[in-house]
Amino acid sequence: MKGTILRGSLSGGFDVRLAIGENIEEIKVGTFCVVEGKRYDFFSMVVDEEIEATNPQVLYDTFSDNPLIDEIVMGTGVIEKVKIQPMIMIDKLEGGVRPVKSIPSHMSPVRAAIDQDVFTIFGEPDEDHFHVGSPLDMEDIPLCVNLDRFIERSNGIFGKSGTGKTFYTRIMLCGMIKSQKANVLVFDVHNEYGWKGSSEDIGAEVKGLKQLFGSQVAIFTLDEKSSKNRGVRPDFVVEIPYRAIEPGDIALVWEELNLNPTALESIYILQRYLGSDWLLTFLKMDVQDIKDMTDEVNASQASLQALQRKLMALERLPFIKENPADDAVKRIMEYLDNGINVVLEFGRYQNNMLAYMLVANILTRRIHERYVTRSERAQAGQGEMNKPLVIVIEEAHKFLSPELSNQTIFGMIAREMRKNNVTLLVVDQRPSGIDPEVQSQLGTKIIALLTDERDIEAALSGSSNARMLRNVLASLETKRQAIILGHAVPMPVVIRTREYDFKFYEDMTDGLIDDDEDFTGKRFLDDMAEYLEDNGDVQVDVSDIDGIEELFKG
Amino acid sequence: MIGEIIESRTSEFIVETVEYDFKLPYGSFIRTVDDNRIIYGIVAGMSTTSIDNNVRAKAFFKSLDELKLEQPQIFSLLRTEAYCIVLGHSEGGIFKPYYPPNHPTLHLQVEFADDKEIIEVTESFTYLLKTISCKDADGEELTAAALRKAASLRENRRQYLVEAGRELFKILDYDTQKLKSIMERVDVI
Repeated sequence: MKGTILRGSLSGGFDVRLAIGENIEEIKVGTFCVVEGKRYDFFSMVVDEEIEATNPQVLYDTFSDNPLIDEIVMGTGVIEKVKIQPMIMIDKLEGGVRPVKSIPSHMSPVRAAIDQDVFTIFGEPDEDHFHVGSPLDMEDIPLCVNLDRFIERSNGIFGKSGTGKTFYTRIMLCGMIKSQKANVLVFDVHNEYGWKGSSEDIGAEVKGLKQLFGSQVAIFTLDEKSSKNRGVRPDFVVEIPYRAIEPGDIALVWEELNLNPTALESIYILQRYLGSDWLLTFLKMDVQDIKDMTDEVNASQASLQALQRKLMALERLPFIKENPADDAVKRIMEYLDNGINVVLEFGRYQNNMLAYMLVANILTRRIHERYVTRSERAQAGQGEMNKPLVIVIEEAHKFLSPELSNQTIFGMIAREMRKNNVTLLVVDQRPSGIDPEVQSQLGTKIIALLTDERDIEAALSGSSNARMLRNVLASLETKRQAIILGHAVPMPVVIRTREYDFKFYEDMTDGLIDDDEDFTGKRFLDDMAEYLEDNGDVQVDVSDIDGIEELFKG
Repeated sequence: MIGEIIESRTSEFIVETVEYDFKLPYGSFIRTVDDNRIIYGIVAGMSTTSIDNNVRAKAFFKSLDELKLEQPQIFSLLRTEAYCIVLGHSEGGIFKPYYPPNHPTLHLQVEFADDKEIIEVTESFTYLLKTISCKDADGEELTAAALRKAASLRENRRQYLVEAGRELFKILDYDTQKLKSIMERVDVI
């Protein structure tokens, strides 16, 4: 792309007149270009394209009978304009990037961006900068997200169904796990992250986090049978005690349980009356018990009986137990404290919103409590600060809708930012369903194709160039293209995400792998080495794959 | 020599050709050497008239051959003039696309410019502004003639015409109809 600045303003962006001979068809919205000013290079993004005539009459006179005249008029009488939005300025004199606060002069030359421009702004891949993809039409140039900044705040991944949200999430999870900058806790409602997932693109299975990171990832499950059927060996089977369920948790799933506001109020009364074991006690009550209670709490017997009937839906969830064998929260905390990331699979409850919301809310609330206590202690100088924890929730609008976001723990986490080192990674297909207040607190957003106006508006809320980005967002391809904007990137950027393929596996496992067919990650080998050393009292060379296999067989 | 300057102004001059029947092609590039300066012009119009401005040639209703036999003296009463406009000048071997400081001296001899000179004169497109805005002749016709000549000397005629056309289009204030009418008369490609 070659051209010159035709006109423009700081707020509205610039019009670039394409140089004669440039083919506008090859310039795609979302690609990058650089305006070479006298002191600054203005790194900009193409946001719109237009045909304009110096004299409007030119547009209406047709010259198709004379190609020579067509050629003369194109580029002089009729000009092709590219609208660009300056995103960031590179100081050529002193170095460094800064926000755009001035504009280049008329006729400043404009050129396509090159790798060095991208590196100056987004950084080169290293421990802090995670390679997530490449800028549009610059396939060979790695574009990085600053991981430190990414985990500092709650983030969102949005996109219509089928646009690869899971895929983006998986990539970001890999980045965070590999960097060891944060622990992740994934509520894997569709069983896609733990051991293996499926790729709609290649129609094949892809490796999950456990396969890539071995002992760094633990798989928890709500449904041991389903996990085993899928060939997964879960580290822990989660059971939820009745007494862990609080009225707030029930309020969250009112829709799934078909409860009305009066019933919700009764629940709070029940808790006050029956104490911490309220739910189990209530569910076990017979008609007479309820009648007795009715008199004391001054409630209607019929409505309490109806409430009991509805709450019985919880009894059909086998993982809710009266006396669980082990405390899931304690286990999760143990794993997280040891730097092990946790993926909680929902097995056959993947379409059961009641199970998902209830479990996610209960576990998160209790984990969050522990983090808060610890961070308060750390602030008082007693003990260490928490290692950052990123909690991944899908179908996030269920938890963060304007009606519920004040009640759920997730709303609170999103609002309090990184105070306690717990942040969310919100994955959703309907960003408009998320409370605007929560939306505005999301630090970094990865947005794939959205078509609904309200969703686009919601996803872009809080970004300064929303109007410009709208066009870009609507023109994204269905697959493997997304905008990243917010805290972790210096400027909004459209990326073509990297392939989740063998090369990626290799990067994530530091290159120590067998072949694609018989994949063994480095950390898996570490596990085997550890196991052998513990059990056989032998020294193992981790880089000697065959040797380990031999020993293991032995 | 093809003629002599008999009237001279800053922007134009009139050349009387060596013979009454020696006609300079319309749109041809000519030059005259004035001291250490070469002035270039383009033929913007030709006319053959009576020497005496007050007397117009008379019709005899005979063929030219018959007239030459019977009335040979009448031909010496005729002269042919070329109306030329100044395109620029060259000093020290460098062409400058603007008027010389002094208008051409009278009675200077005039020659056709050679191909190399024409290429030099038409290298920048400033001449188009002079041809299109020439007062006493049809600017569009003259511009087309100049372009025909200039393009015919180029290896890549089309490319030259496209670039000249773009310049011309701006001069014409992006009037596509005028551009079309001129370019249609340039039939050298």
